[in-house]
Amino acid sequence: MSRASLVVGALLVAFGLAVFGLKLFAFEIPLAVSEGVGPWQVELRVNVRGSGARGSVRALLPASEAGQAIFEENPTADRLEFTVREQDGGNRTGIWSGEIGPIHEVVYAFHVQMNAVEAPLPSTGPFPEPPRSISVTSLAPSRTIPADAPEVAARLERLELPSMKDLPGRIRTIYQWVANEVASVERGNDDPLLVLANQEGSEAGKEFLLTTLMRGAGVPARIVHGLELRPDATPRERTWTEVWIADRWVPMCASPDGFFARRPENFLVLGRGNVAHVEATSVVSVGHRYRSLREHLRADEIANLLTPDNPVFERLSFYRLPLPTQAALRVLLLIPLGAVVIALFRNVIGVQTYGTFMPILISLALREFSLWKSLALVVGVIAFALVLRRGLEFLRLLMVPRLSIMLCTVVLLVAAFALVGDDTQTASLFAGVLFPMVILTMLTERIFITSAEEGVRQAVVRAGYSTAVAATIHPIFQSARAEYLMFTFPELTFCAMGVLVWIGGYTGYRVTDLMRFRRLAQEQGAEAA
Amino acid sequence: MLPRRLLQRGVLGINARNQRYTLRVNERRFYPLVDDKLATKRMCHEAGIPVPRLLAVAEVNAQAKRLLPELSDESAFVLKPARGAMGNGILVLEVRDGKMMRGSRAVSADDFVYHAAGIISGLYSLAGHADAAMVEEKLITHPAIAPLAEDGVPDLRVIVYRGIPVMGMMRLPTRASGGRANLHQGALGVGIDLELGVTTHAMFRGETTARHPDNQRALVGLAIPSFDDVLYTAVSAAARTGLGYVGADVVIDARLGPAILELNARPGLAIQLANRAGLAPRLDAVDEALGAWARGEHNDMSTAARVALGREVARVARPKAAA
Repeated sequence: MSRASLVVGALLVAFGLAVFGLKLFAFEIPLAVSEGVGPWQVELRVNVRGSGARGSVRALLPASEAGQAIFEENPTADRLEFTVREQDGGNRTGIWSGEIGPIHEVVYAFHVQMNAVEAPLPSTGPFPEPPRSISVTSLAPSRTIPADAPEVAARLERLELPSMKDLPGRIRTIYQWVANEVASVERGNDDPLLVLANQEGSEAGKEFLLTTLMRGAGVPARIVHGLELRPDATPRERTWTEVWIADRWVPMCASPDGFFARRPENFLVLGRGNVAHVEATSVVSVGHRYRSLREHLRADEIANLLTPDNPVFERLSFYRLPLPTQAALRVLLLIPLGAVVIALFRNVIGVQTYGTFMPILISLALREFSLWKSLALVVGVIAFALVLRRGLEFLRLLMVPRLSIMLCTVVLLVAAFALVGDDTQTASLFAGVLFPMVILTMLTERIFITSAEEGVRQAVVRAGYSTAVAATIHPIFQSARAEYLMFTFPELTFCAMGVLVWIGGYTGYRVTDLMRFRRLAQEQGAEAA
Repeated sequence: MLPRRLLQRGVLGINARNQRYTLRVNERRFYPLVDDKLATKRMCHEAGIPVPRLLAVAEVNAQAKRLLPELSDESAFVLKPARGAMGNGILVLEVRDGKMMRGSRAVSADDFVYHAAGIISGLYSLAGHADAAMVEEKLITHPAIAPLAEDGVPDLRVIVYRGIPVMGMMRLPTRASGGRANLHQGALGVGIDLELGVTTHAMFRGETTARHPDNQRALVGLAIPSFDDVLYTAVSAAARTGLGYVGADVVIDARLGPAILELNARPGLAIQLANRAGLAPRLDAVDEALGAWARGEHNDMSTAARVALGREVARVARPKAAA
């Protein structure tokens, strides 16, 4: 290696490490992902279209309570007036009102520190009567909770519930029946009586039935609306149930992935009762979506990172950026790590891959997928496209139209995968980074040409090397630790560049050189050494 | 340790070749001269260096159809991309009984035009850019070598460093290589003693061999015909490019004598295996004889002096046991 590249590489690495060290030690930014203690950043984005008439948009806003601490709430109003209404029932509603023009986008962003709530059922009595305020709101039948319907009474009769003295037993029996005997079906019914009649319904429908049966059995119960926050996906809107026993509310959810007498730490309460997540009046249309990101820092640590005491670092911190930008940057900042792996494979090991950065792009697009699933997808699409490519050979088409036909096929294949694939994972495939169809197309063409020109063996060997490189990069792209490290300490990119300068200046043998020329080393009588 | 022993034998690795030689002494601006075979041909032609005759060129798809009519008088020709790499996209054709044949397979006029269109679209070019399809005459292998290569045109690769020939090998197409003279595709590599012009070792698929795998003919101890001219041709063509590290591919034609087939700015390193010798000591010896390399250096040694220096370098580097 030349002295110059040694020095330039060292300078880059030293600069990266210096900034990294400064942030690590002087500002005490933690090095590792502290799993499960970080707050979430959640964002509600509402798109509303109106005709110019006065109208309003209402959204449930979370409130701090046991298991969830809300902070750094940040609404944007997009020319509308924003107010928060706190209702008696404890629900908080954000209201955006004014003249609703053709398009408004309002955002409500907040941080929340979540904890699991444990609420075990008491084993022994006495079980005091609920106070009047609770029996009025949560025991009486209502339009949506028809606890007085005859079929509810009939079902409760057949469940042979324990007596009121064994309140926990009653609750358990009803919960177990709804959880185990009522099927959850997608796009199932929401109406509790229809769910009861069919013994199947939507997740929300089962919760309404659970609440209805509880009230019918004399147990105060209410519907909870909230979000299930997920580490690598958008939040799911969830509904669950709370029952009142021994002076407190006990959460439970009868879905297949439900819970009983506890609320998992990723279930965020937005509101209770017969309310919608988002609704609007005097508008043409309204749509909303939630996004969330798990923070790996504790709230006070984020505050420290953002503290104006360090104006430079405050300006340079990616944590100030809007959530979608952050999500994109978290992915982009992993690319330097992939580039180092590519350079190691090509210049130190010496394997040939299809396309220099192809393994990075494909791994990046498939980072939400498991390694095996990614391989199956890529291999499946390419195998199919290769068959087609062979067929196209007979038509003798010119290159660009021929490649375009292959591109169309690849698009169709990936689209077909969306139909048969797992919904949430496939959705993320198309979000953010667009799946690299063009790369798959060119890859197919290269494999075809290589197998025709240099033999199938060579084509398979090179495909194997490409796979090995991609399989090395893929876990890095999936690693939450790597993501946190590069996003929180982007200066490490300079270290990667320094290492790349070193690799670029490496004049030693590649592993493949050693294998090729090992015969020369075995021979005796070395020449002019 | 393997790396240490290879280093002692002066074996050049790819990283070292790129860092110390191609990236240093091959200036980017001269690459088009060797990457474009039409440009190489023009350059050699102007300098009076023999090259295979250019028969036809198609630079756009519409011209692909007009290639064949121009070839009506020819009995053997080669269709190749002007900017191809590693021998890819080359079609060697012979006309027998009015039919175009590639080896024993018939090639229709449609096949020919389709292949030419693929070349023009850039299918085989170095970076996938649009390319030109060129047709040149198929050279007739010198009778002394012809029996060794029934399946294609053998050539001689000479590495020319700073205008000095340092190592050479003969590349013989085999049945396994499909008529192509490319080692990684299964061609034979036969090392040549530069001083004597005699073959020394042969290598097939990375293994040492003494006989041709297809016809069992001996490969070692053969004298290369007009070897002086081979070196002269390689050196004068390489020196004209301005590049400091060149692989010159020379074919010994029965009529023309040694002719330049193409030049390569990133010649492969398998030549070391064919010669059972590392390149590094010879390259160092050239540097020692010529002094440190300077950018844009012009060396006014005569071709004869260059060839003589190259032979001297090769003689000194020859293993003691054989000397």
